[in-house]
Amino acid sequence: MEKAMSPTRWRALLAVALLQAAVLGWMVWDRASLISQGREILLATDPVDPRSLFRGDYVILNYALANAALPAGAPVARAGDRIYVTLAKGTDGLWSMTALAAEQPTGLGADRVAMRGRVESVWPDGDKQQLRLAFGIESYFVPEGEGKDLERLVGTESLAVVVAVADDGRAAIKGLRIGDQVRYDEPLY
Amino acid sequence: MLGDRRLRRDLERWEQSGWVTAPGARAIRTELGQSGTTLSLANVLAVLAAVLLCLGAMTFVAANWQEMSRLGRLVLLLAMLAGSYGGAAWLYGRGLEGFGHAATMLGCGSFGASIMLVAQMYHIGGNPPDAVLTWGAGTAAAAILLRANAAHALAIGLAGLWGAWETALRGDAFWPYLLAWVVLFAGLALTTRWRAGFHLLALSLTGFVISLGYLLAQGHRHDLVLLIGLAGMAVAAFLGPTIDRFLALSRPALVYALATAYAGLFAMQFLEGLYADPASNTPWLAANGMPLLALAVTSLAIILGALFLANRSGNRGLLWVAYCCFSLELIGLYFKTLGTLLDTSLFFLVAGLLLAGLAYLALRLHRRDLAHREA
Repeated sequence: MEKAMSPTRWRALLAVALLQAAVLGWMVWDRASLISQGREILLATDPVDPRSLFRGDYVILNYALANAALPAGAPVARAGDRIYVTLAKGTDGLWSMTALAAEQPTGLGADRVAMRGRVESVWPDGDKQQLRLAFGIESYFVPEGEGKDLERLVGTESLAVVVAVADDGRAAIKGLRIGDQVRYDEPLY
Repeated sequence: MLGDRRLRRDLERWEQSGWVTAPGARAIRTELGQSGTTLSLANVLAVLAAVLLCLGAMTFVAANWQEMSRLGRLVLLLAMLAGSYGGAAWLYGRGLEGFGHAATMLGCGSFGASIMLVAQMYHIGGNPPDAVLTWGAGTAAAAILLRANAAHALAIGLAGLWGAWETALRGDAFWPYLLAWVVLFAGLALTTRWRAGFHLLALSLTGFVISLGYLLAQGHRHDLVLLIGLAGMAVAAFLGPTIDRFLALSRPALVYALATAYAGLFAMQFLEGLYADPASNTPWLAANGMPLLALAVTSLAIILGALFLANRSGNRGLLWVAYCCFSLELIGLYFKTLGTLLDTSLFFLVAGLLLAGLAYLALRLHRRDLAHREA
């Protein structure tokens, strides 16, 4: 039994396929422009090796600046809140946190950059609030089997992440630096 | 569907006994035929196959594409999408509705897999529920535009996952979920009106409302759950005919509302004590001037009211849920009053007398009803 498909359904099918493809295209374009146009900074890290069932090997990157404290008297922070950390470049080329704010700081100058993060959890510590922050740069996917290699390398070499920070503070991983060498520096597309 | 088949059989019998006229029976059969696609075994298998194919494609791609360039990988993902929807077009075009819906489901699954794989390609660690939301929104669009029930079920599940994940991350009620729920409800009501889909939505909403009791006010807002449940029951019971004129949902709505109301009462009676202030050792109920007995009597009154309503209207779902609530209430009260044997025996005595009284009342009402009809 051959039944012709209605034109409405044709259009609907095309709209769905184009919409979903556009979402994927936008994800890639957004990332690529962030990586190519964002300010490049270097963050020290140490990796932990878990495994994702569907996504192959990846390392969780742990940053010193993920642990921060709000001083006494600061407004109460809640999980899910947006937060900005101000980073400054040290003499060793690595960037570290100098300030923490709920609003994006402006007029930072050439040697500072503000990176946007999210409060993962909050717990009280005396009259201070201890925060755990995430910046969307905590997972690094590596070819299958290399996660363990990477972890072994780290015992002897220092590991740093090359991060691009956009004007609005969003961050994206560009590559990894092991010792003096940048590894996994992939082309954008 | 099972109900359809039974109705068709009964219809034949009624027609033979002359209770239903031949044109009447024909009209009923036509309407049955139009009530959405029937869930045949072939369609169910096709949807399952779509799920498996999707999982297979995802794991294959994730394990084998290190050698490809990023652009090559993106083209592969888009080809997967195009192939699914192209397949759907071909199947719909041949009148194979169910298989077309399965291919649509495969497309939605590929969309989700692609989101994960793009995140992998660019090391996007972001907020995982955001990815679930994007996936769910794309799936909902497909379900509504293509009137595909399986995809709608997937979208309802993804919305629930999104809400639950955000709730878990924040440790607080996540209100935006309600917006997604309304969109999915409206989408279903305006397209296929698939009953199983409405049940999934009702189940999700029930879960959301009950969770509020454990999330708001440090987990002490079960009274709000009770109120929402009671309001739902009142609306479903008193405005039933009005609701049913638009969507025949008041009967199942009553069942879910009862489950919600009782979940609130159950927590207030039997769980709140566990969270009592350990310093003063005051049970929550006593601290809030609410004796257990008052709550137990309220519970029994609501359950018996629901039983009564279920019997009158022939709502079997309501009957069973009310029986379940009744059993839970008895078990809860038994454990709560355990140790003070006198209290336990007193409780069963009171409950027994209460039930006997209600049975007598029901009998009187039934008789009056009969007398009315015969007069």
